[in-house]
Amino acid sequence: MNAPMESFEQRWTSSPEGFRVPYEVFTDRAYYDKEQEKIFRGETWSFVGLEAELPNKGDFKATAIGDTPVIVTRDQVGQIRVFKNRCAHRGALLVREPRGNVKSFDCVYHQWSFDLTGALRGVPMRRGVRGQGGMPPEFDMANFGLDALRVESLNGVIFASFSSTVEPLLDYLGEEVVDTIQRIFNRPIRIMGDQRQYVHGNWKLYAENTRDPYHGSLLHLFHNTFGLYRATQAGVSHMDASKRHSILKVVATATPASESENKEVYKDVRSYNTDFHLQDPSILAGRKEFDDGSTLIINAIFPNLLLQQIANTLAVRQSVTYAPDAFEIVWTLFGYADDDEEMQMIRMKQSNLIGPAGLISMEDGEAVEIVQEAVVRDGKKTSLLAMGGGRAENVEHMITEAPIIGFWENYCRYLGITQVRVA
Amino acid sequence: MSQAITAAHTSAIDALHTAYVAALDQGDMAAWAATFAVADETSYFCISAENDRRGLPLALMYDDCRGRIDDRVSFVTKVWVGTYQPYRTRHFIQRLSCESAGNNQYRVTSGFMIMMTPEGGATTILTSGEYRDLIEIQGEGDNARAVFRERRTVYDADVLPRYIVFPF
Ligand code: FES
Ligand SMILES: [Fe+2]
Repeated sequence: MNAPMESFEQRWTSSPEGFRVPYEVFTDRAYYDKEQEKIFRGETWSFVGLEAELPNKGDFKATAIGDTPVIVTRDQVGQIRVFKNRCAHRGALLVREPRGNVKSFDCVYHQWSFDLTGALRGVPMRRGVRGQGGMPPEFDMANFGLDALRVESLNGVIFASFSSTVEPLLDYLGEEVVDTIQRIFNRPIRIMGDQRQYVHGNWKLYAENTRDPYHGSLLHLFHNTFGLYRATQAGVSHMDASKRHSILKVVATATPASESENKEVYKDVRSYNTDFHLQDPSILAGRKEFDDGSTLIINAIFPNLLLQQIANTLAVRQSVTYAPDAFEIVWTLFGYADDDEEMQMIRMKQSNLIGPAGLISMEDGEAVEIVQEAVVRDGKKTSLLAMGGGRAENVEHMITEAPIIGFWENYCRYLGITQVRVA
Repeated sequence: MSQAITAAHTSAIDALHTAYVAALDQGDMAAWAATFAVADETSYFCISAENDRRGLPLALMYDDCRGRIDDRVSFVTKVWVGTYQPYRTRHFIQRLSCESAGNNQYRVTSGFMIMMTPEGGATTILTSGEYRDLIEIQGEGDNARAVFRERRTVYDADVLPRYIVFPF
């Protein structure tokens, strides 16, 4: 018998005009299923949480890698563990609360009990009742622990992998991403809270959006008008050596653009409005807290994490997939444990910038959804990634779509898709 | 002991709730802002039940002074114009408790439900939740008028079903 036909496009063809992505990648279930196997459960490290979320032994949180439910916990000796959230007996969801503290994980269905290392410790009626029933003599509890994932942390940021062969986390991330994580997580953090938003679109549209410096000052009026981010600012659009991850950064400069230069660049653009003023401008009155002077860093880490610093807003955004046309963004905002009261207040005010109703993030949800709506029946048509030259190359500016191409080249590599560039 | 609430104050509070619902259901952000006191120490917070339960401060909307309430009006009517899909809402409110806080102020708690209809779409539930208010009565007798000094909206949805433009 022949192997079943793959229903999706095995060859993507790009032209000198730019990199082309067939729209079916956002709608076709075959891609989605393959991504779960080859990306989320394949040779990658996925973000699952922050150690600060699990300060005590027995603390746990339930989350998901792609759409596979997992439990993240801190065991009795303080080690972080990640398991599939599935009972080893007959597959029930073991943990149903989003977070909590336990001594053991007890399945509600038949009360099998697992300790914090995932080992099976208790099976009710194992030896039967009044000489009747019971498990067969061959039954060995050691064979029925929870499915454990590989776990590595970097400065309190927890990653997990289903793969036993993936490279160590630091190699997977690469030097510049490691530096970015260590820069932001340079001392103990304090969690400010979570925001959760369901998005009616494909998770990869968000992976594109967060690797897209081109849209920043065009879609988001607030960014542009108040100078949090403009294309006229000095910035870099970098990738790690593998080009899976991206680091978009606005860097401090001795020669900022003049108002007339900004007006020239944005003369026909809706999102540059110098007439708009804030009643309470204190939202923009942040504090310099990094010596390098960078005020904006957007670090997308393949496949499911975004780490950000926007002014004094520090956050991670995790993508959880549900279906080809549905995913969830989980935002976790934090400050530092040693923030003084004023700094905490600054972060609270600025938290208005991001989240499901964020001044510079609400529009990203809409951008994802309007693409999803429009591409639904034209799977073989393609989008165009060309700004900045149409190749995945690091550049010292932000007028580019290069990091998105880096994402897709890796995507093709993981899924075994051949890319062809025609002359 | 809290003093009994007068009929004039009760009807002023009712009128405030009605004005708030009418403002948002008509998408009238200026009218929404007008339900809040003009004093600088006036606030609107919209926070998830999850963060509220965990004692964490992070809010969906954090308008900690009158100026920021006015700025929210501009965000919706100026900054975001053209970037979001318009949607209409219907708010339903049920008052749960009302206690005097002295100085013509009341602590009022209400349950709410918001239905949402995107332009060209079907009606769904946006979220439900609880309003925890500090309401102030200004003026006397027939001129008594109620305004929010603080409205803390605690919404039930653990995951919001979409991005959010309008306050709850
Ligand atoms: S399924 Fe968990 S104990 Fe039976
Ligand atoms: Fe954006």
